[in-house]
Formats: sequence, structure tokens, C-alpha cells
Amino acid sequence: MSEPLLTGGLALLLLGTALSFLYRSKNCRTVSLGLTFLSSGLLSAFAAGMLYGGREVLIESYSFLSPLEFSFFIDRLSAGFVLLISLVTLGVSLYSIKYVEDEKSEGRKSLHVALMNLFIFSMLLVVLSANGFSFLFFWELMSISSLFLVIYEYEKPESGKAALFYFIMTSLSTVFLFSAFIGLYTRTGSFDFRGFGLLSPEALSWTFLSLFFGFAIKAGAVPFHKWLPYAHPASPSNISALMSGVMLKVAIYGLLRFLLAVEPELWWGVLVLAFGSFSALLGVVYALKENDIKRMLAYSSIENVGLILIGIGLYLIFRVSGLAGLAGLSLAAAGFHCLNHALFKSLLFMAAGSVVHETGTRNLEDLGGLVKHMPQTALLFLIGSVSIAALPPMNGFVSELMLFQAFFSSSALAGAEAPFLKVLLVLSLSAFALTSALAATLFVKVFGITFLAKPRTEGAERAREVPKLMLLGQAIPAALCILTGLFSARLFTLFGLPVGFGSGAEAEVPDMLFVGGILMVTYLLVWLSVRNFGPSSGPRVCKETWGCGGLAQHPSMEYSPAGFSEPLVVIFKKIYRTQLSSSRSFADSQDCVFEHGTAEIRLIKFFEEYLYLPVAQAVDRVSMKVAGLQNGRLDTYVLYVFLAVIALMGFTRWFA
Amino acid sequence: MITPGFTDPLFLEGAVRILFVFVLVTAALVISVRNLASLLTTYTVQSLLLTLIAGLLYLIEGSPVLLAISVLTLVSKVLLIPFFINRVEAKIKISRDMKFNYLEPTSSLLVSIGLVLLVYVFLSGFVGELALGRLFFFGAVIGLSLTLMGMLVMFSRRKVITKVLGYLTMENGVLLFGIFVTELPFIIEVLIVIDLIIIVLLTTIFAVGMDSTIEEYRQKLQRLHIWPGREYL
Amino acid sequence: MILNSDISFILFCLLNPGFVLLISPLYMSLIKKVKAAAQGRKGPRLLQSYYDLRKLLHREVVYSPTSSGIMRVTPYLNLAVLLLASLFVPVIFIPEAPAGIGNIIVFIYLLAIERFFTALSGLDAGSPFGGMGSSRAMSLAAVIEPTMVIAFAALAYVLKTVDLHEMFAITSASAIPVSPTLVLVSISLFIIIIVETGRLPVDNPATHLELTMINEAMILEQSGKNLALIELTHSVKQTLLMAVLINILVPVGLSGGFSGGLTGGLSGGSNLANLAVSGLLGSALAFLVKAGLLAVIIGLFESSLSKMRLFRLPAFYMMAFFFSALTILMEVFA
Repeated sequence: MSEPLLTGGLALLLLGTALSFLYRSKNCRTVSLGLTFLSSGLLSAFAAGMLYGGREVLIESYSFLSPLEFSFFIDRLSAGFVLLISLVTLGVSLYSIKYVEDEKSEGRKSLHVALMNLFIFSMLLVVLSANGFSFLFFWELMSISSLFLVIYEYEKPESGKAALFYFIMTSLSTVFLFSAFIGLYTRTGSFDFRGFGLLSPEALSWTFLSLFFGFAIKAGAVPFHKWLPYAHPASPSNISALMSGVMLKVAIYGLLRFLLAVEPELWWGVLVLAFGSFSALLGVVYALKENDIKRMLAYSSIENVGLILIGIGLYLIFRVSGLAGLAGLSLAAAGFHCLNHALFKSLLFMAAGSVVHETGTRNLEDLGGLVKHMPQTALLFLIGSVSIAALPPMNGFVSELMLFQAFFSSSALAGAEAPFLKVLLVLSLSAFALTSALAATLFVKVFGITFLAKPRTEGAERAREVPKLMLLGQAIPAALCILTGLFSARLFTLFGLPVGFGSGAEAEVPDMLFVGGILMVTYLLVWLSVRNFGPSSGPRVCKETWGCGGLAQHPSMEYSPAGFSEPLVVIFKKIYRTQLSSSRSFADSQDCVFEHGTAEIRLIKFFEEYLYLPVAQAVDRVSMKVAGLQNGRLDTYVLYVFLAVIALMGFTRWFA
Repeated sequence: MITPGFTDPLFLEGAVRILFVFVLVTAALVISVRNLASLLTTYTVQSLLLTLIAGLLYLIEGSPVLLAISVLTLVSKVLLIPFFINRVEAKIKISRDMKFNYLEPTSSLLVSIGLVLLVYVFLSGFVGELALGRLFFFGAVIGLSLTLMGMLVMFSRRKVITKVLGYLTMENGVLLFGIFVTELPFIIEVLIVIDLIIIVLLTTIFAVGMDSTIEEYRQKLQRLHIWPGREYL
Repeated sequence: MILNSDISFILFCLLNPGFVLLISPLYMSLIKKVKAAAQGRKGPRLLQSYYDLRKLLHREVVYSPTSSGIMRVTPYLNLAVLLLASLFVPVIFIPEAPAGIGNIIVFIYLLAIERFFTALSGLDAGSPFGGMGSSRAMSLAAVIEPTMVIAFAALAYVLKTVDLHEMFAITSASAIPVSPTLVLVSISLFIIIIVETGRLPVDNPATHLELTMINEAMILEQSGKNLALIELTHSVKQTLLMAVLINILVPVGLSGGFSGGLTGGLSGGSNLANLAVSGLLGSALAFLVKAGLLAVIIGLFESSLSKMRLFRLPAFYMMAFFFSALTILMEVFA
């Protein structure tokens, strides 16, 4: 390998993994995470260089059986995702140094660090893979290492359920990918990704469907999203940050790798757009109802994956319709939103991890008033919230702006299908607008309830600011959120994307640096001109909040998180599907004297109860039947072999 | 740029298009408004819009039948029918229709958007917009959508008065469709209008003419299986 | 080297926000006056809003001990954001703005910043009223968002640009509305003004009753000059939204090509400069009158309706969405 930065980065990462596997001491863990930090630095430098230079590198590495070989390939797309992974791990590794020390046993702490490094390493190599074999190999390594991290707190019953969900869904995803790659091999004789271009249109469509479902499961698109809200809260927060911020994007990478290599068809774009719109809208609608802070963030990840899929769907539609400029804009929006979501979601998961760490609860009903005790964490969480709520001039806004712009310019569509495509885009646009506004509502709720007003419980009262190193780990993505937002247009130009401002750009994006600059200036002007008004002397007046005549204000009077989302729950009651059930018992035989009773309003977990459970039960029934075939007697198995041979003979004679 | 001028066909067509959207909005209001008086006003406005559309088309096309339709609509649907229904409403002393079957107003509006699209798809496969010209094709789409929305009103609302208004909306849709596609013979339009007036007259007579008390009116209608039952009154 | 376009833009940056800031409170009192007249009362003086603002600016600010920096920053930030937003909506003349100033999506999201931080400051003091206001305001704003975006998308569809400045340049270049769709979009825009500025039937700006209030509940804990800033922000927002509607529907008087003549006048003879200045005054006066008329219409509209129940509002918004969606379907199909 002739890329010292890349080789060095990967080697450091492996060294870190080995170190914490072998030695179980605090120093080793710190050194190991330090190595992760260093390697992330090297890799981000490498990836940025690759993006800037636009070079392509092919590394044929090791082959042990003829078609099964590891080979790696780096172009702009994979360089972009390497950059994404390493920027997130830059912050997460620093954050983890203090965070992992919370666990009791030394062995588990070291295992945590080792698995985390292995997880990062495998994600990097998935992105770098040049053929189906190495892709699947590292994909499985990524799934398994993250599975262990999900059941890391295996004593808790919820971890078991989360791991089961995660395991089944991720295996299902692999099955789809596997069938696609096997199909590729049987048709072209090689696992190489370049073979996608050689497939016949029909084979290509099947490959697309299979890959799309495989990646959609891993990325958590509705209705395959159910593992996300289980797995993310169960795993430690630094791992949630990696899984939500990075692993979902690896699935997106896989989808993009395929789509960019082939000639797409129109219905692909329609399918992806529809999935994206549903995921985005349902993700945020479910998130609004959620009171568990980490589960809420997990649902919000589903929403953001939906937005990315909307971008990809638009790209496909515009590309097939021959509008290269708009296609480029949509693709850039999808890619940029991948990076942005990785940054602000890892920031939010880390900040939420700090909150959970300090207060010991994930329930929003028990939080409140943390801005007094954890001011820096509050500021960092606010930066994350403002970015994810897509307020200018932050990065989250820029990617949504690009999507909006692509939607708004869709009047350029022409051709026979144009009216229907336009109507589809209008419907999708309204779902997108609703999603975006609901996301802002969601983060007003989360930030306001968690950090503002008075603490609702003692746990929240006792919270203290987390160590400096953990804050620094969050400060990196926070700073990147602001900087990538402000310099977005310049970055696009720098990295040679056909999007930006000024001449040479196929699609214009407003310059956020300018907007942000004017905002700063107007803020200063307003402040300077109003500062001197009012009574100049005397201390600032502080009076209790008006309590409608009550004297002291009690935290229980504050608006609760459930109350905050109540209007939207009522408006979207069709989506939430609540169920009311009651039971009563009476003391006498005439049912006159009421003894006791229960009543509950329950949220129907629609997808779980109507999609997952029936499928699971069906599988269960089939496997019971299959299990009946196994009676443990040798004679029976010989009978099976006999029957199989007869069937095979018959098949080859008449069908093959 | 378009030159200003009120007889310019482009301007007139623009005006017709604006009226189309208003027609659909009145239909949407018929679906969702709960106050019976406003409901009647909405229907009157809808008929007035049809009058205007027919009038504008007369200015574009110059066919006297259109003018006749315009005048007929004005007399029958803007003046006569609302007058009779107003009498009924004054007598039956209910001012609001709050109950909905199958579809809540919010979802029926979404369904209506779907209906417009469906009708567009259906007609474009059936007629083809080139044969008619874009404005006329769109008029047909609006007419058929209006008919379907009227039908939607008839099954989604509970009160007879509202159902009658739904039926009238439906007929307005037929009229619109007729104006833009089939060049319905004028005599048929006249017959339909007479039919409508008779229906409305019958309703009026049931309500106020033969029996002055509302109780007996309800019993009569119950015997005819039109009135849903006492709990809805 | 400073180009002519730069001069025009700098002048615009000073004139436009200043003018908007100056005239905004007028329309608040004008609407109150119209409503009072409709109810048979005399109503406040036309300049009453200015007096109120002056009074509030000289009062002390009282903070709750529960509140945090959010409460302190929000009033300043919101006014700054709205002043920035005023660069997106030219009311006197259209400058040659750099890329990004005038983008309609940025404009929508600048309004979202104001809403986001107002809602947070509503939660900040821990008062149940504030929380209620924030919850309702954010929920309703979310539900109206599709209508708003679809209406603006319809504008972008018809005028083939996403830039408000270019849109106004196109509409002011022709005497009657460029397309029938624009007339329809204007009606959507009117509904958006009503919703976004918290007017009847959505919210009642005149009461402090917990059943009805949304916006007033959020700012209940604000006082003194902070309250003055918030009130000013609110009026600027109203003026800007009104200006969008006015410049789309009746752009008469908005100087499109004036920037060239203006800068030419500044560098050249005083005659030209005089002409330019009088032209600008004419445009400003035209806007003042048009906005006044619109304010009277808004006042009459408010007087003719009663407050809707909170959960009846989604149906109203659905109606607005139906309307906007039809508008865009119309543009696509017909």
C-alpha cells in the first residue's frame, strides 16, 4: 500500500484494538482510545486529501480462494464516507476515555474499548471494499461487533430483547445483500462492484430490490425500523453515537455505491422517494410521543435516514429525467445530510449520555433544570438541537435547504410522466415540510424539558457537569456542525462538487457565511442600541415566576413532556392508534358494588403488532414443524438422505 | 408579457381557472362546514361561480347556449333553490350538522385531493387532453371531481338537508362537466333543473307545507327511510 | 473596488430594515383601530404602538430565578433574525443582492428561528402558561408548515426562481398578475399571514385567557425592554409577510430598475440623484398605502370571525392545504 496516512491510520486502530484486548488496565484503555483519536485524525486528513485531489486508488490485496479475495478501492464516494466515519470517531474516542470508566469490572471496560475499535475498523473497511466478498466480510464483522456492544449490559432484560431484534433484522439484511452479491457473481463471474454495470436491465432491477431492502433494513427505514429504538437505548451512549451516526450511513453508502455504478430506472427513484417520505414523517411523529431521551433520538435517526433517502430518490428521478444539475444537487444534499446527521446525532447521543450518566434516568419526565448544573452540556446539546432542527446557518439547515431547492425546481421536469412525477414530488414535499417543522417541535420539547425550568426529581437536582475530556469530545462535532454550516458553499466548491455559489456551479446554494455574518452584525447592532435603555443603575431584578397567585412554584406545575406533545398526539391520533382497555370487578353478584378495576390507554405498536409479530409467529410455527422432523434417530436421517437423492435424480432428469 | 385587457381570451381563461379552484374549494367547504346556514351560502356561492364560468365561456366561445345556461343557473340555483332551502332550515330549527359517517372532514379533504388526481388519470386515459384543449380538459376534470365530492358529501354527512346539498353539488358537477365536454343539449339541462326544483319543493312541502310540525315530518321521512332516526336530530 | 451593485446593496441594507422597523408598529395599531371600529369602539390612537414601545423600553427587566440565558438572549436574537429576514423582502427597491439573500427557503427558516427560540423562552421560566404556549405554538406551526411550503413552492413553480428578489422583479415588470395561479397563491399567503401572526380565528392577540392564548402565553414572563423587543419583532414579522403578499399581487410602485439610476445618480449629477430620491420616496409611500389597505382588510377579516377551538384548527389548516395543493395541481395540469 502506498498510502502512508491510510495504512498508518488503520494500523493504529488495529494496534489499539489488540492493546485493549490483551491488557486490562486503565492506562492501556486510555492509550488505546488515544490511538483511535490519532488514527481518526490521520484518516480524516487522508480522506480530505482524497476528496480535494479527486484521485482514485485501487488496492488488490489478499486472495485466498480464486473468487474470494479482499480488494479495496478508494474514490471520492468512499473517501467522503471515510471522512464521515473518522470525524465522528474523533469526538467519540475522546468522549469514551472517561465514559467507559463508569463500568465496574476491568475486563468489561477493556472489552468495551476493544470492541468499539474493532467496530470502527470494520466500518472503515466496509466503506473501502471494492468487491462483494470483502464488503460482506467486514459488514458481518461490523454487525457482530456492534451486536456484542448492544448486549453489553446483558443483565438488563431490555438488552436481551434489543439484541434479539437487532440480531434478527441485521441477519435479514445480510440475507438480502448476500443474495444480491451471489446474483452478481453468477452473472458476471466476479464479486467486483464494477460488474454491476454489466448486468442486464432485468437482473439489475432484481439486484436493486434486493440491495435496497438489505440496506433499508440496516439503515432503519420504515417499516424495517423497529430494531433501532430498541438497540440504541440499550447500548452505551458512545456506541449509540457510533451506531446512529455512522453505521446507518454505511448502509446508505452501500446503496449509493450501487446506484452510482449503474443506469437506474424511474421506478427505483419513486420507490426510494416513497420509502424516504414515509420514514421521515413516521420517524419524527413517533419520536414526538417518546419520553425516553435515547429512544427519541433513535426515532429521530429514522427520520433523518428518511431525509437522506428522499435526497437519493430525487437524485434518481432527476437523473432518469435527464436533469443533471438537479440530480447533482439532490445527491450532494443526500451526501451532505449523511455527514451532518453523523455529526449532530453523535453530538446529541453523547450529550444525552452525559445527562443519563449524571442523573441516572433516561425518562424526560424526571429531568429538567439541567442548564443550571450542566451549562456546557446544555450549550452543546443546544447546538446539536439547533442543527438538527435545521435552523440557519447550521449544517442541518444547508442540507435541507438543498433538498427544498431541488423540490422547488422540479417544474423543470418534462416528458410523458412529468405531471405525475410533479404531483408525487408535491406530496413528498408536503411530507418533507411537515417532517422538518415537527423536528423543530421535537427538539424544542427535548431541550426545553431536559435543560430548562426546574428539576423535576432529585436525580436531576444532583447532576453535576461532566469531566472536561467528555465535553471536549462533544465540542469537536459541535464545532464541526457550525463550521460545515457556515462554510458549506465553500466546501462544496473546494471539493469540486457541481454545487456552490458563483460561476461554475450548476446549482446555486446560498452562502451561509454571509447570512451568518449579517446575523452576527444585526445582533450586535440590536444589542448595542437597546443596551442603554431602561433604568441604568441598580441590580437586576429577580422575581419568582408568576404562579397565578400561588407563592412558591413547584416543579410539578411545569408543563410535562407528555403534555407538551399532547396537541400533536391529538392531531395525529390516526397514526398513533391508541387502545383503551379496562377491567372491573364487583363485590356482589348483581354487578352493583364496585370493588376494583383497572383502566389503561395504551399505544399500539403498529408495526410490531401487525407486521413483526405475525411474521415471527409464522416463522415459529414453521420451525416447530421442521423441528418435528428431527427425532434424533439415525434411521430417519438415512431415510431423509435417501429421499433427497431420489428427488435430486428426478429433478436432474426432468427439469435440468 | 400579457397585455392588460378584459376581453383578452388569455385573461378570460385565467379567470376561468381561478374560478375552477374556487368551485372545488366550495365543494370542500360543503364537505367540512358544520353550520347549516353557511352550508347553504356555500352552495349559493358555488352556483354563482358556475354562472360566472358559463358567462366567461360565453365571452370566449360566443355560443348563446352558454349564456342561456348561465342565466338559467342564476335564476334556479342562485335564487330559487337557496330560497326554498332557507325556508326549510328556518322551519326545522336545527342549525348545525356535527355528525360524520366514515370520514372526518380532515381526511375527506385528503381523499378529495386524491379524487382530483384519480379523475385526472382516468380522463387522460379516456379522452386525452389534446382532443379537448387544456382548459376544457381541466374543466372536465373539475366537473367530474365535483360530482364525486358531492357523492362523498352524501355518504359522509348525516342530516338530510346536508345530503340534499350534496346532491345539488353533484348536479353542479354534472353541469360543469356538461359545459366543458359533451355540449349537453340545453333542453336536458332545463329538465334537470326542473327536476331539482321539484325535489327541493318536495322537501319544502314535507317540511312546511302539508305538516306544520316537525315531528310529523320526521315520521313521514322515517316511513320513507330517508331520515336516519331521532337520535341525530 | 466598490461596484455600483455593492453601493446599491449597502444602501438597501440600511434602508430596507430601517423602513420596515419604522413602519411596522403602525400596522399593529391600525388593525386594532379597525377592529375597534367594527365593534363600535373608538380604539387606540394610530401611534399608540410607538408610545407603548417607548414606555416598555424604559422599564426595568424582571427575570425569574428559574430562567436561564435563553430568556436573556431570545429578545435580541429574534429581532436580529427578523431584521436579517427583512433583507429578503424588498419593500422600496430591488437591489442586486449577493447569492443567498432573497432565497425563499432561508426566509422561511429565519422565521423558524424566531419561533424556536420564542418557544424555548416560553419553557424557560417554568411557568405552566409558558409551556402551554410553546407546546401549542410549535404544534400548530408544524401543522401549517406544509401549506406554507406548498404556497411558496407554487410561487417558485410559476416564477421559475427560488429568489424573492427575482420574483418581485418579475411580478413588478408586468401590469396584471403573470399567471392566474398567483392570484390563488395570494389567498394562501393571506391565510399564512393570519396564522403566522397569531390572529383570529387561530389565536386571539387581544386576550390573556388561558383557553385561547397561544402566542401571548409564551411571552407572559417577558418584561421591560425585552418585551418591547419581542413586540417589535412580532410587528416586523407581520409587515414582512404582508410585504411578500403585496409584492406578489400588486407590486405597483416597487422600483425594480431603480438601483441603477440611483447609483448613477449618487456618482453623477445631482439632478439624477434628486430624481432617484423622489422615486424612492414614491415607492415608500406606495408601500405604506398598500400595506395600510391590507392591514384594514386583515382587521375586517378578524372582526368577522370568532376564535376557533384549538382542535378544530387542523381542519382549518387542512382547508388551507387543500387550497394550496389545488393551486399547484392547477399549475401542473392546466
